[in-house]
Amino acid sequence: MSATTPAIELEGLVHVYPEGTRALVGVDLRVAAGEALAIVGQNGSGKSTLVRHLNGLLRPTEGVVRVNGRDTVDVRVARLAALVGLAFQDPDRQIFAGRVRAEVAFGPRNLGVRGAALDGAVAAALTAVGLGDAADANPYDLGYSRRKLLAIASVLAMRTPIVILDEPTTGQDLRGAARVQEIVWGLVAEGRTVLAVSHDMRFVAGTFGRVVVMREGRIVLDGTPAEVFAEPAWPVLASTYLEPPLAARVGARLGLGSTPTEAALAEALAERG
Amino acid sequence: MAGGYLVPLALVGIVLASAAAGRVLRQLLRISLLLTLPIAVSVVLVSVLTRPGETVLMVLGPFDVTVEGVDFAGQTLVRLFAISTAIGLFTLTTDPRAFVFDLERRGLSPRFAFVAAATIEAVPAMVARAGVIAAAQRSRGLDTEGSLRARLRGVLPLVGPVLLSSLTEVEERSLALEVRGFGRPGRRHLLWWPPDRPIERLARWLLIIALAGLVIVRLLGAWPPIP
Amino acid sequence: MLELRGATYRYAGYAQPVLHDVDLVLRDGEIVGLVGGNESGKSTICLVASGLAPISIGGELRGEVRIDGEPTAGLAVHELAQRVVIGFQNPATQRSGVAATVFEEVALGPMNLGLPVAETLARARRALATLRIEHLADRDPARLSGGQGQLVAIASLLAMGPRHVLLDEPTAQLDPAGSNLVAAALRDLAATGAALLVVEHKTDLLDGLCDRVAVVDGGRVVLDGPATTTLEDPRLEGWGVEPPARVRLARALAARGLPGLAQLGWPA
Repeated sequence: MSATTPAIELEGLVHVYPEGTRALVGVDLRVAAGEALAIVGQNGSGKSTLVRHLNGLLRPTEGVVRVNGRDTVDVRVARLAALVGLAFQDPDRQIFAGRVRAEVAFGPRNLGVRGAALDGAVAAALTAVGLGDAADANPYDLGYSRRKLLAIASVLAMRTPIVILDEPTTGQDLRGAARVQEIVWGLVAEGRTVLAVSHDMRFVAGTFGRVVVMREGRIVLDGTPAEVFAEPAWPVLASTYLEPPLAARVGARLGLGSTPTEAALAEALAERG
Repeated sequence: MAGGYLVPLALVGIVLASAAAGRVLRQLLRISLLLTLPIAVSVVLVSVLTRPGETVLMVLGPFDVTVEGVDFAGQTLVRLFAISTAIGLFTLTTDPRAFVFDLERRGLSPRFAFVAAATIEAVPAMVARAGVIAAAQRSRGLDTEGSLRARLRGVLPLVGPVLLSSLTEVEERSLALEVRGFGRPGRRHLLWWPPDRPIERLARWLLIIALAGLVIVRLLGAWPPIP
Repeated sequence: MLELRGATYRYAGYAQPVLHDVDLVLRDGEIVGLVGGNESGKSTICLVASGLAPISIGGELRGEVRIDGEPTAGLAVHELAQRVVIGFQNPATQRSGVAATVFEEVALGPMNLGLPVAETLARARRALATLRIEHLADRDPARLSGGQGQLVAIASLLAMGPRHVLLDEPTAQLDPAGSNLVAAALRDLAATGAALLVVEHKTDLLDGLCDRVAVVDGGRVVLDGPATTTLEDPRLEGWGVEPPARVRLARALAARGLPGLAQLGWPA
């Protein structure tokens, strides 16, 4: 694998569910190693279907899925889990251990990590999500916010080069959402590839360098937050019933170009003088 | 001997003919066979191999296979099949909700009626939830496609959250139900129940009379028992 | 009118109370927003105000809950439900699972109350009309979008005939389209004179919707006032609440010594 092999490559990906729903109708996507990408769209746009192809939970009806240059079609999910960590939205649909520590150890243990390496991975993951002090607690003694962070920790501990977060800020309060943002930045700083599926436009605009907008099984917008939330893109966004963040709307109205975040708007205003 | 087969076979014939008329014959055969096969296997083995009798057909090791044994197994199988096809026909041709509403209008407590109906509907939801849980655990490296040992190790991470999340959901679900009055004792005025046609009423009475008749005839000893 | 007076509540099996001396008033035709960090006690306030705590889930309540002047203690749950109802965030858990159509689902509540058929039908129709979902009447409740499912859940509650509706994070599990659908429906609902309490993290949603907003922290109501001023309070973030976008924007500008939104001509 060379330095320029994309971490993820989707070519003409089509997925039709057994009952006939055409969830993906031809998706092309290339994600470079180390990129941070957010996938947005309404429920039913295909975003969840797309990410489930990345670790083999779903197989393409047509098209190719490549992770680190290798076609995933014959690779078992358990093997792909060493490359792609997918953290699900509902922590209560995966927590089964009586101790936080054991829950986080489940993933790396499945990958064959043992002993000191296992303890290290678990401790690092718990620290990254801010649960270092709760290692011996029962997961159900933690509130919902912290259980969500626990679910993320259990994937971080697997130390996969690609990490995917499914709706990480849904149901989080302010502190939880801020922590998720830090986690994403931390992963990027380590050189990992990060994808997040999200409804939260503000989280997306302020955290990711690239945004992909989906509608009815295809990608309709793909670019930086500034590009995707710029005024020319608004009709396309509107067709997916998504709204650009307030900062973007204000910036456009004031003729300041594309200002997807509050910080960007403030910058643009300061520069204008 | 033949007499022991006549009635059950006739019953099976009636049930299968009804199933064909209701266009559920293939499903019925599948369900009945699935239901009876496990019991049938053990019944046949036990009767054929160990039932005492006079006419020995063949000897298998320490076991004597007798005509009487084979006959007994045959009669039992036919009876099992008659029972399973009858039950199968009932479940395939009855709308569970219509059934429950009908019971309620005839006096079944609404709370019991609700539980019966909800239980039937609960299965697809549980299956869906189990699917999500399996996906999450597989994404963490749980191997569900591997060896038997690997799959056994996966039982707790798969079953645990299904039970736990079902329990945590139960409280919210039951509160939501209580707010909508499901806990209130007393009758309710149903919006709808299945219509009762004269021919169905006649069929019901005939069945009740037939059942009563059979019991009486049996008690009077007028019908030959199974040997 | 629904009033909490000095409500202190402890869940069954727990040593410490989760709510301390909470006072809250909900008036007819008013929409009140309730915000706070996770674990602040917002959901508990809803459970106490609805009467389900302690009548249904046990625990110990000190202080009082009164509806139109009468204490709710001693009422049976189905009697309570005709005065105040509570909705939760997951549309799936609020579905009875025994109705084939949305109309039947909504009609289940009044039917359970033992009402005559004509009254049940009238209430179901009215509930669907209030939320403008008559077009969903023949649909299978299990096959709706999240937003539609939540509206059906709310309609099912309305059919019980309450004048007070408490909603605990109704849009938490919905996508933006679903959230907007529910927000619009809540406006229609309040216009009929119902008293609404809406718990949400999405302060942008509450900003356009509520007359008043109360903030909960550590089981106490720490702020309670008109929506606009409460959502602009600088202490919100300290309490784990994200202010609405317009407030964050205004602060970002002010921090750099830039003119405020109004002076820039927004909104035009």
